[in-house]
Amino acid sequence: MVITGRYFDGRTSAGIEARLEFGADGNLRVYGTAEPIVVPLAEIRISERVGNITRRITLPDGGVFETQDNDAVDEARDSLGMRGGSPLVHWLESRWHVAVGSLVMVVLISIAFVQWGVPAVANWAAAVMPAEVDHAIGAGSLDVLDRVAFEPSELPKKRQQELRARFVTMTKPLDDGHVYQLEFRHGGYIGANAFALPSGIIVMTDELVELAKTDDELVSVLAHEVGHVRGRHALRQLLQAAGISSLAFALLGDVSTISGVLSAAPALLQAKNSRDFEREADAFAKQWLRENGIAESNFDTILCRLDDSHSGEEAEEKDKDKDRFDYFSSHPSTSERAQCPKEEEVETDAATEAEPDPAPEDEAEAPFEGAPPIDTPSQA
Amino acid sequence: MNENPYERASPPSPPSNPDYTPRVELPFEFRGNGGEYFRIWIVNLLLTIITLGIYSAWAKVRRLRYFYGNTFVDGQSFEYHGQPIAILKGRLIVVAGYVVFVITAQIFPIFATLLAIGLGLFGVPWIIMRSRKFQMRMTSYRNLRFNFHGEFGGAMAAFIGYYFLAVITLGIMFPSWVRKRVQYSLDNAAYGNQQFSFLTGSGVYYKFCFITFFLGVALYAGLYAVMRTMFGVSGLETDIYVMANAGVMGWVLLFGFFVALLGVAGYYQASAANAAFGGVQVGSQYVRSNLRAWPLIGIYVSNLFAIVFTLGMYYPWAMVRQVRYQLDNTAIDSDGNLAGFTASSGVGIDAVGEEVGDFFDVDFGI
Repeated sequence: MVITGRYFDGRTSAGIEARLEFGADGNLRVYGTAEPIVVPLAEIRISERVGNITRRITLPDGGVFETQDNDAVDEARDSLGMRGGSPLVHWLESRWHVAVGSLVMVVLISIAFVQWGVPAVANWAAAVMPAEVDHAIGAGSLDVLDRVAFEPSELPKKRQQELRARFVTMTKPLDDGHVYQLEFRHGGYIGANAFALPSGIIVMTDELVELAKTDDELVSVLAHEVGHVRGRHALRQLLQAAGISSLAFALLGDVSTISGVLSAAPALLQAKNSRDFEREADAFAKQWLRENGIAESNFDTILCRLDDSHSGEEAEEKDKDKDRFDYFSSHPSTSERAQCPKEEEVETDAATEAEPDPAPEDEAEAPFEGAPPIDTPSQA
Repeated sequence: MNENPYERASPPSPPSNPDYTPRVELPFEFRGNGGEYFRIWIVNLLLTIITLGIYSAWAKVRRLRYFYGNTFVDGQSFEYHGQPIAILKGRLIVVAGYVVFVITAQIFPIFATLLAIGLGLFGVPWIIMRSRKFQMRMTSYRNLRFNFHGEFGGAMAAFIGYYFLAVITLGIMFPSWVRKRVQYSLDNAAYGNQQFSFLTGSGVYYKFCFITFFLGVALYAGLYAVMRTMFGVSGLETDIYVMANAGVMGWVLLFGFFVALLGVAGYYQASAANAAFGGVQVGSQYVRSNLRAWPLIGIYVSNLFAIVFTLGMYYPWAMVRQVRYQLDNTAIDSDGNLAGFTASSGVGIDAVGEEVGDFFDVDFGI
């Protein structure tokens, strides 16, 4: 079989029109040069085929025969039973059904990785890391919050001390390596709320303290926040974000134009994890309340009242939007978390402005409009 | 916006010159296509995933061979010769070095900091030099290898010396830094034994760098003004935070801002590519690069949308479009004779340099 192409001797860039023949006698011949070249087939190298790029047949002296006729080279190679690179990969690469099958596999593996792999690895990594790591993540968070959101607390010192004392009796027996600390702030436009910082600092707004009718209600909120710290949700969130980013970059990393978008991908996927963390913290709170002989209904009551206080005058609009963006919300809907009595009165004094989510920019909460009113956001 | 105003040396053209030969334009051409590359990409992606990343070295070689091998000029294509094993070895060394560094940082933080500074000052130029050598020597055209003769000292001057110059002049000499980096990469390159020359002057760099700077400033100023009027906020610190919480309008604004940023990036990239590739002289061949900002921006933005809305599946087509646009607007102003180059000896360099560069994502300037 004769294949046409060009021959380059490797000493200059000059090429000559040439023909190539795979001889049945075990020799390869190149015609077109001053003297025909004859070399044993065993001494040549055929480049691997990728797509339909120029095929190169390299001779022992460094000369190269280049041709576009990939099919003819493949045919000659096969009929002579020669080994030439890995034809299998090219076979896989040149079939649409293989491509579609591969795509399905990649998608399934990616989903499984995000769904189970990333959280599992993150939990494992978090378990290995000492509690100081949480402390390091949380360092400075309160400063940021103080700058962008909070004002100093206006609660009477005596009331603060009362609640702190209660908090100390609550957290002392936990003995889990975290240093718990309760802080009070005036929430301003954030309104009635409580936050857990990974360092173990729990911030409660004056508005929340005023909204509660009993201290047991406040304790139930604190238990939820302690659940965030104990569960190391901030650290796990960070680790999961890192895992998802790595996946995104592994799949599409070398497209410079989209790396900006890739970095946003974890934020979307994380909303789901964030809701899982809320449920975990809820579960901890309820268990803790049970074990300490406090009615679990306290948690439901305060959650529902918070819900109402955040809806305020916009209650109707909020109801309309309630579950629309559920995938993106950082918290499960209140109706899922607590049974609210229908006749619960609306506390207008603690009603807040329209800002739905007070997360500072370094927080991982998904800040979508239409998120259900926040009740107990957590990890900074 | 960008009418290719590049001041540059011209090929010898006076008819009185006895050596005068008529000039011809030899366009670059990309013969690959998105569908074909999609199949290659997805199969290699799957193989990479199920081998836990090990196959990525093979995938990289196949990807580069696909793009080099489909790049034609004057009827012949380029070829990439990098070996997967060399690349894999390089990657393993990098990963091992990284792990050692992280552990060192845990035990001797101060030593690790010094090490990091030392690595930044002396390691990065070394990595770039090695990486350039590997890339050039692993590339051939017409069975003749490219080469790279850059030395460590030159890399230090271009990447570190001029960096400090840019810093102490408060960024005024930033364009010189950009130019020096490109000059290092191109002036030291060779095809066979024919050294490249880099012809683009400083004026070109100063012009497009400062235009980019002012476009960026205007963009941020505009954003700031909108923020103030729409949301009544001042203080850039809280901008992103406020926008992210301002509902749909906030997200629209954020996205619009992002697209506008891409636009500025497109202008910079078109100008930088023209200045770099358009400044290459190889013997009596002169490379012409005529990328224009708006088409490039259009490709960036539409690629971005398409990739997002197909959840990444458009990626191979996006790559092909980007490369095709660049090559369609690049040509060689030639004397018509690409056959006169001769080989130099000296091949064989391992892949560590390039892989180190890849891993730490160093910007190579071109």
